[in-house]
Amino acid sequence: MTVERAIANQTEARIRQEQAHESAENSKFGFIVFLLSETMIFLGLFAGYITYKTTTTDWYPAGVTGLETREPLMNTIVLVSSSFVIYVAERYLHDRKLWGFRIFLLATMAMGGYFLWGQAVEWRGLTFGFTDGLFGGTFYLLTGFHGLHVLTGILLQSLMLGRSFIPGNYESGMFGVEATSLFWHFVDVIWIVLYTLIYVWQ
Amino acid sequence: MANISLEPTPSISAQPYPGAPDNWRRFFTFSTDHKVIGIQYIVTSFFFFLVGGTFAMIMRGELITPDADLVDRTVYNALFTMHGSVMLFLWTFPVLVGIGNYLVPLMIGARDMAFPRLNAVSFWMIPIVGILMMVSFLVPGGASQSGWWAYPPVSIQNPTGNLINGQFLWLLAVALSGISSIMGAVNFVTTIFKMRAPGMTWFRTPAFVWSVLAAQLIQLYGLPVLTAGAVMLLSDLSFGTSFFAPERGGNPILYQHFFWFYSHPAVYVMVLPAFGMFSEILPVHARKPLFGYRVVAVSSILITLISGVVWVHHMYASATPGWMRMLFMVTTMLVAVPSGIKVFAWVATIWGGKIRLTTPMLFALGGIINWVFAGVTGIFLGSVPIDIHVNNTYFVVGHFHYVLYGVIVFGIFGGIYHWFPKITGRMYYEGLGKLHFVLTFAGTFLIFLPMHPLGLMGMPRRVASYDPEFAYWNVVASLGGFLLGMATLPFILNMVSAWIRGEPAGNNPWRAYGLEWLTSSPPPVENFEEIPTVISPPYGYGQDQPLIATNEHQEATQVP
Amino acid sequence: MKLRAIILISIMAVLDGLLSVWMAQQSYSWFPPQASAEAKLYDQLFSIFVGLGTFIWVGVMVPIFYSLIFHRAAKYDASDGPAIAGSTTLEVIWTLIPVVIVLSLSLVSYRTYDKMGTQGPETLVHLHAPHLMESAYAEPVEREPEEPASVETNPVESVDVTAKQWAWVFHYPEQDVTSTELHLPVDRRVRLVLRSEDVLHGFYVPAFRVKQDVVPNHTIDFEFTPTRTGTYRLRDSMYSGAYFAANQSNVVVQSPQGYQQWLAMAASQTPQPAYNQAADEYSQNNNNVAVRGWKRVVPAPPPVVNYAPRYAEEPESSDDPENHLEG
Repeated sequence: MTVERAIANQTEARIRQEQAHESAENSKFGFIVFLLSETMIFLGLFAGYITYKTTTTDWYPAGVTGLETREPLMNTIVLVSSSFVIYVAERYLHDRKLWGFRIFLLATMAMGGYFLWGQAVEWRGLTFGFTDGLFGGTFYLLTGFHGLHVLTGILLQSLMLGRSFIPGNYESGMFGVEATSLFWHFVDVIWIVLYTLIYVWQ
Repeated sequence: MANISLEPTPSISAQPYPGAPDNWRRFFTFSTDHKVIGIQYIVTSFFFFLVGGTFAMIMRGELITPDADLVDRTVYNALFTMHGSVMLFLWTFPVLVGIGNYLVPLMIGARDMAFPRLNAVSFWMIPIVGILMMVSFLVPGGASQSGWWAYPPVSIQNPTGNLINGQFLWLLAVALSGISSIMGAVNFVTTIFKMRAPGMTWFRTPAFVWSVLAAQLIQLYGLPVLTAGAVMLLSDLSFGTSFFAPERGGNPILYQHFFWFYSHPAVYVMVLPAFGMFSEILPVHARKPLFGYRVVAVSSILITLISGVVWVHHMYASATPGWMRMLFMVTTMLVAVPSGIKVFAWVATIWGGKIRLTTPMLFALGGIINWVFAGVTGIFLGSVPIDIHVNNTYFVVGHFHYVLYGVIVFGIFGGIYHWFPKITGRMYYEGLGKLHFVLTFAGTFLIFLPMHPLGLMGMPRRVASYDPEFAYWNVVASLGGFLLGMATLPFILNMVSAWIRGEPAGNNPWRAYGLEWLTSSPPPVENFEEIPTVISPPYGYGQDQPLIATNEHQEATQVP
Repeated sequence: MKLRAIILISIMAVLDGLLSVWMAQQSYSWFPPQASAEAKLYDQLFSIFVGLGTFIWVGVMVPIFYSLIFHRAAKYDASDGPAIAGSTTLEVIWTLIPVVIVLSLSLVSYRTYDKMGTQGPETLVHLHAPHLMESAYAEPVEREPEEPASVETNPVESVDVTAKQWAWVFHYPEQDVTSTELHLPVDRRVRLVLRSEDVLHGFYVPAFRVKQDVVPNHTIDFEFTPTRTGTYRLRDSMYSGAYFAANQSNVVVQSPQGYQQWLAMAASQTPQPAYNQAADEYSQNNNNVAVRGWKRVVPAPPPVVNYAPRYAEEPESSDDPENHLEG
């Protein structure tokens, strides 16, 4: 260990400190950029869905007349309200009330879980599959791809929940929680468009 | 006009900060230093450039005679598919990301990219993409044979019936490359938005940084749409869905929209950084400010915007209704306007300057000459009636190779020569560099120009055999192709020998104006001892105005 | 000094203009024979583009090379050039002129396209597309005065075109004649009905300067007017798999009488399997290449047609047909 190295380490430490809050800022910016980019995948899939629906003559596979909308509506309400719940959780964390944060985060996860379960039940009850025409293909592709995002959101939330028990976890900012919350809102907004396209517009 | 200190740095291998060994081993580690990652990108992609070039020369060998007599037709089809895929996904995209990676933080006065670890992850996906592509030659049925567009239904025909087939591996590789590119784009955009040095306002940001930003914004809006199309193609291929499968009621044309919505702008992802490098190289070697710098900078963003609404010009002949053809003809032609602005600005930049024909300058000028030609033929192709005859012929092949090789690869070579002394601390050999330029320019001319008359005569692209009437120009093109292949040898020789035992170059051998030239060569870890404060716009040649606020550390390297 | 510059620039512009006109005239010789009304329109449009393109290219190259010759730094001259950072006037000029140029080129192209009126798909993807482009087949095709004025402008011949991996089959519905060679009468508007049995193909006759992709599951109408008798090449222009390059055929444009005679002759023949290069190469597994290939899509059997320039029974010109398939 030379003197040179010691000086270098010192300098590095100083720079790291300077950059700490800057980097949290950057992370947030980068995450928003990523979400905007992610939106384009869904926009692409939506555009494909709209094109197929308006140009296909035999839209529904044989024996299918449409989709049941009641349970999915229930599901939608739960998912959309969970956006408010995670917002409350974030407020609690902001006020450094960790237990409030945890409880509301857990509630969000439960609501997300309910949504996924509801979707699984719906999938099981359907008479058509992924390969049944363009309707089957786009339906499972869109809902499945969105469901994957919901699952990711729940995993992120459980990660945040776990990390809230680490002492001093929030000293360098709350980027993780903010990003998780932002992601959850994103998943919700996408679902609203998706629900309108698939269930409302029949 | 004060003279700047030209005394060579005592030892180029000195690293101001320990912990970054100046040895080759660090290039094989998961380094998070943007300069190491930049070099990793450049060297890895150059390897694949040689692979893709080898494919091209086998193809030119096949095409030197009219009959399909060198390789089987399926092999030829796999070769052109993989030539395109390797050259785009493993050479042009990554090498430009590499150059951007190396230069952007230095040019904006940052210590690194915004997300160094993400940066390293993005890079290490590239070798995996390469391995997947190469392995696909070994699976039963061979590598993908549907062209780099992978248009269905051909791409989902899968004659072997296996789940693991060439097309499947190809899609996997492209998806990985897409993820890597998206991560890279997020990184670049954040870095450029948030990490510019104090005082570096948008209009004090170098044109190269603007062009990288413009290019990466395209990645962000375009790539996800291609991903959506690729996911649907994959499920058609592997799970039997019907999105693009006509025999199951699907619509193969929709894939083309997904594909070109990204893949046309993708050309701008590649050409914009090349333009940016021209804008950096010309002022240095003509000793004049970049003419109309602000307009040049903004025109990059303009190209980003227009490029999002031109994709259908690839589909004039493919079941596109008349109104759509007309609409996209007008938008396509409008791209010529910002591109023209750049060309005129470059000409005005060198006009009346003190020009030195160094190797980077030669490559930049050669690139501009080729670009004017390729731009003109591009306008031809934008016109619907003209395109209908030459669409899917060698005219198009000639046009885009003029862009990709004549402009982009020239830009890359120019950029590598220009910043080689910065990257390695040593000077390349000027004579070998000039030889490289002459051979490359002649080769490019000989191989790609004859493709234009071939296209006008009606030779379709992607053919393994052709009618004897096309033989003459094909022989010329093939000979040009072999010449172009050989032209790479002096470059490799130059780079390797100069890096090992070239003359020490000093921190600023070009007496160039720019933050990257203010630090040592090669730059230390974290780039700058102290983050500079920028006080004037770039390209201050002929003006007695310093680029950065003076303080005790930077006096010595101050550019007048 | 300023006057000298203006004179010099004017002289350069005139020279550039003359060169461009010469190039524009040259461009007519770069094409295969001009065998359709569309080809004539096409070559005129292309010539305009070539002229303008030459003017721009030379116009940019001259100042670049002038600079490179006269504005070089002396060997030990370490000074900088003049610090000219820009000129708003110039920048506005070189933004506006290209805008005007490209918009006029779009307009010229539109007019040519409108005159060609090759139909093509109106209903694909965008079902409710407004029928903006009124087809021009009802309008008289522009012709030189000395040419016969008896051109039929209504589509009189309708031919079904079927593309597959890898063959072209032409069916004349009125006479119920099939052929692997497309015969057409001269100076008649022709309507083709394009269909594909498997993947995308491209109907492309360079001598006619027309091209249209053929899309499976869709029927695409396509029109043009051959104006010159002779035999031309029809090529598949949209990559269609292993034997794509071999998927070619001939187009024979004949006098109306000759065409009718051919139809009658073809109708009297019993259908036979035609020679098909893809099927033929596949059956030999193309042993005359240096590098063997992989498993591929099996070509469709040779089409059975009334008329074919070569029938499958004819002896092959290939070298060693005794070898057999691999896996």
